[in-house]
Amino acid sequence: MRNLRLRSTSLRLLLLAGFVGLPLTLALGHEGHHVECNETAINALKADIQATGEGEARTTATKEMEATQQMMAKNDIDGCKGHIHSAVQATEK
Amino acid sequence: MPRWSAGKRWGLVAGSLLLLVAAGVAIYAGLYNVGADVPHTQPIYWLLDTVRERSVAARAQNIAVPKDLDDAKRISIGAGEYSEMCSGCHLAPGMKRTEISRGLYPRAPELRRNTDLTPAEQFWIVKHGLKMTGMAAWGVTHDDDLLWDVVAFVRKLPELTPEQYQTMVKDAPKHEEIMRQMETGGDHEHGGEHD
Repeated sequence: MRNLRLRSTSLRLLLLAGFVGLPLTLALGHEGHHVECNETAINALKADIQATGEGEARTTATKEMEATQQMMAKNDIDGCKGHIHSAVQATEK
Repeated sequence: MPRWSAGKRWGLVAGSLLLLVAAGVAIYAGLYNVGADVPHTQPIYWLLDTVRERSVAARAQNIAVPKDLDDAKRISIGAGEYSEMCSGCHLAPGMKRTEISRGLYPRAPELRRNTDLTPAEQFWIVKHGLKMTGMAAWGVTHDDDLLWDVVAFVRKLPELTPEQYQTMVKDAPKHEEIMRQMETGGDHEHGGEHD
């Protein structure tokens, strides 16, 4: 009987650990598909923009990069990531 | 020419010397970051870009371009060579950016996009490479005919869909075979004119 209770507690603990760990695992996995928001990413973006010829793509990417820097200054990481992603997409068109 | 007083002349000399010393100190102290993950400022980038453009244009102006750049055999050989030697940095239709293409500075141009360069300029760049860009001088290991094949293919590249590119690469003669032919002086002559 005691053994059964122990097993049940262990099972609950395992399930709890799984539920706690799941969002973290998903978040890390999700992160891999997105651009980071840091100085290195902004520098890489600047290099991409320099290599992009004059035109709409360059104008869009430059605007998005400026917005990225503003978001970064405000510490708005989600906003920063959104703009950096749009800027990268513009340079890759 | 205006007549300057002795004081002004000495001022000019002293100012120039001061600038030279300041530049020397800045260089020696390693103030300029040469890391490839931090881009040049726009004026430095413009300066280097302009130096590169003018240098290539000046050196390519007397290169005679072969008349058979549209030749299917040339383009096919070029496709195989491009896939082997160039696509890692310059990418290709349907190809995602590679680790090396993302880390190079300045960025290697994506050749699926149209270019302002003439065939002669492209040939010169492929043959001689470009200092401080990561672009190798392929003329060290490849003969001119083979390099013109690559130029012939690169001219065609912007028109290709990802499927067409894959088919051309699949059907192209293998790199090792082409290199062996080149080294043994085999069947790889188009009679192109060289620089």
